[in-house]
Amino acid sequence: MWKKETAGMVKRYKNFKEVGETVVLYPDNYINDIEGEKLEELCTSYLERGFKKVVIDFSETDIINSIGVSVLIGMIEKVRDMNGNILFSGLKQVNYDVFSIVGLTKHIMIYETEEDAIGGNAKASGAVTTA
Amino acid sequence: MSEILEEAMTEAELSLEKLLFNLSTLAELGEEITSPKDFTRVVKSALYMVMGSFSCSKGAIFQYDHDRGSFDPIASKGLGDIGGVRLKLGPNAISELVKHKEPIDLSSDAYPVALLGAAREELAKLDARMLACLIVKDELLGFIAINGKFTGEPFTQYDGQLLSVMSQHISFSLHSHSLLMKLMHKYTENKNLYDNLRRIYYDTIHAFAAAIDAKDSYTRGHSHRVSAYSAVLAREMGWDNDEVEGIRIAGLLHDIGKIAVDKTIINKASPLTSYECRELNSHPVIGYEILSKIKFPWKGIPMTTRNHHEKVDGSGYPDRLKKGDIPIGARIMALVDAFDAMTTDRPYRPRLSFNEAMDEVKDNWNKQFDPDVVYPFISVIKKEVKREVDNPTIVPLLQEQLDAVTLNRLFEGFPRA
Repeated sequence: MWKKETAGMVKRYKNFKEVGETVVLYPDNYINDIEGEKLEELCTSYLERGFKKVVIDFSETDIINSIGVSVLIGMIEKVRDMNGNILFSGLKQVNYDVFSIVGLTKHIMIYETEEDAIGGNAKASGAVTTA
Repeated sequence: MSEILEEAMTEAELSLEKLLFNLSTLAELGEEITSPKDFTRVVKSALYMVMGSFSCSKGAIFQYDHDRGSFDPIASKGLGDIGGVRLKLGPNAISELVKHKEPIDLSSDAYPVALLGAAREELAKLDARMLACLIVKDELLGFIAINGKFTGEPFTQYDGQLLSVMSQHISFSLHSHSLLMKLMHKYTENKNLYDNLRRIYYDTIHAFAAAIDAKDSYTRGHSHRVSAYSAVLAREMGWDNDEVEGIRIAGLLHDIGKIAVDKTIINKASPLTSYECRELNSHPVIGYEILSKIKFPWKGIPMTTRNHHEKVDGSGYPDRLKKGDIPIGARIMALVDAFDAMTTDRPYRPRLSFNEAMDEVKDNWNKQFDPDVVYPFISVIKKEVKREVDNPTIVPLLQEQLDAVTLNRLFEGFPRA
C-alpha cells in the first residue's frame, strides 16, 4: 500500500491512494472532527479529475462518532451529486453497527476489504446499494 | 420460529446499541460545549453531532441577533453559503414559541408551524424538516433546523425527545456565550471610560507641573526631569510598575507648594533673607497640604512631597527626620531633586558638571543623601552609559557626554557600602 501526498488539496490529510479510476481514502479518526469535512473537497476534486469511484476504507478507524457520520453523509451526497460511486470497506463490527443504527448500511455497498471494493467484487457484506 | 426470535433479538440489540450511540453523542456534546474551544467551532461541532445522530445532510443553527432583531445562521452544513438568510419573527410568535419546548415538524400544518409566518418560507428554501427552539429561562435564543433523514425514514417520537435533549445542551452553550459577550461589552465600555479618566488625570497633573515650572524661569522642565529620574531610580531599586507610576507622579508634583511662594523669591539671584528663606522652605509643607486633600490611586505622594528636603543626618526640613524615618520615596526624591538642581543653571550660579555634581553627592554621603539610594543611582547611570538598558533616561537629559572610563574612575572614589 502506498500513500501519496497532494500538496494543498486537503491540509493535514494525506492518507489516500489512486488505483486506476478509483481513489481509496483512509479516513482513520480524522473523520470524527469537523475538519474531516475537508474530505468532501477531496472527493469532489478527484471526481472532477475523471475518477469514477471513491472507496472509503475504515480499517484504520477505531470508532465513528456522530460527527463522523455527518461528515460521511456529506461525502456521499457530494459523490452522488457528481454521479460518482462511493463504497465502504474494512469496517470493524462496532463501525458496522453505527452505520446500521443511522441507516447507512441500507444505502451504501459495504465490502470486507478495499481490494474487494476496488475490484467491485459482488461479495458485499452489507445490503445492496440504491445508488 | 427461531428465525423470528433471532430477528427480534437483533432488533433489541440494535436499539440498545442505538441508545448507547446516542448516549455517547450526548456525552460528547456535553464535553464539547464546556470545552474552551472557540464558540464558532463548538457550535459547528454541536450541529454535526445533531446531524450525525439523525443522519441528516442539511442543517443550520440560528442565533438571535439583538441589533438586527432577527435569527441569523451561526453554523450550517450542506447548505452552501446561507450567511444572508435571516429569520424574522414577531414578538407574539416568539412569546408563543417559548412555551413550545418540543421540536416542531415543519411538514405538518399543526399549531406552532403557522406562528413562523415568513420565516417558514425561508426554512422551506433550506429544505428544513425539523425545527428545535433553543430556549433558556423563557428566552428564545435561537433554532436548530435540520432536513429529513438521509435514509428517508420518518422522525419518531424517540427522535423528537433526543433532538429536544440535544437542543437543551446547545441552548446552554448559546446562553453562556451571550452572557460572556455582554460581559465583554461591559468590560470594554468600562475600560474605555477608565482610560479616558486616566488620560484626564495625567493631563491635569502635567498641567500642574507646567504651572509649577512656569513660576521659575530657571527650572523649566525640572519637574519632568525629577519625575523621570525618580521613576528610573525606583525601577532600578526593584519597585513594581504601580509603585514606579506613583513616584513618577510624585516627581511631577513635588514642588507644587512653590505655587504659593512669591515669584521674586524663587527667581532671586542674590542670597535670600531669613524671611525669604522661610518662605521658600515652606513649599514642602504647602505642597503636602495641597496634595493630602487629593485621593491618589498611589500611596505616599503627599509625604514624598513633604519630606523631599529632609537629610539622612536629621538636618533637613520641615520635620528634621533621620534616615529610617524619611519615607523611601522622599529619600529618592531628595537625591534626584538635588542632582537636577546641581546639573542645571540657577539664578545664583551656572550649572555644575556631572563630575562636580557627583563629588557633591559623595561629600554629602550619609549626611544629606542615603547610600541605599545613591548606589542604585550610580548603578543605573553606569548601565545607561554602557548602553545596557533599552531606553536610557538620565544620561540623555544631561547637558554633557559621559564616558565609561571617566565614570568608573569617578565612582571608584565612592565609599563602599
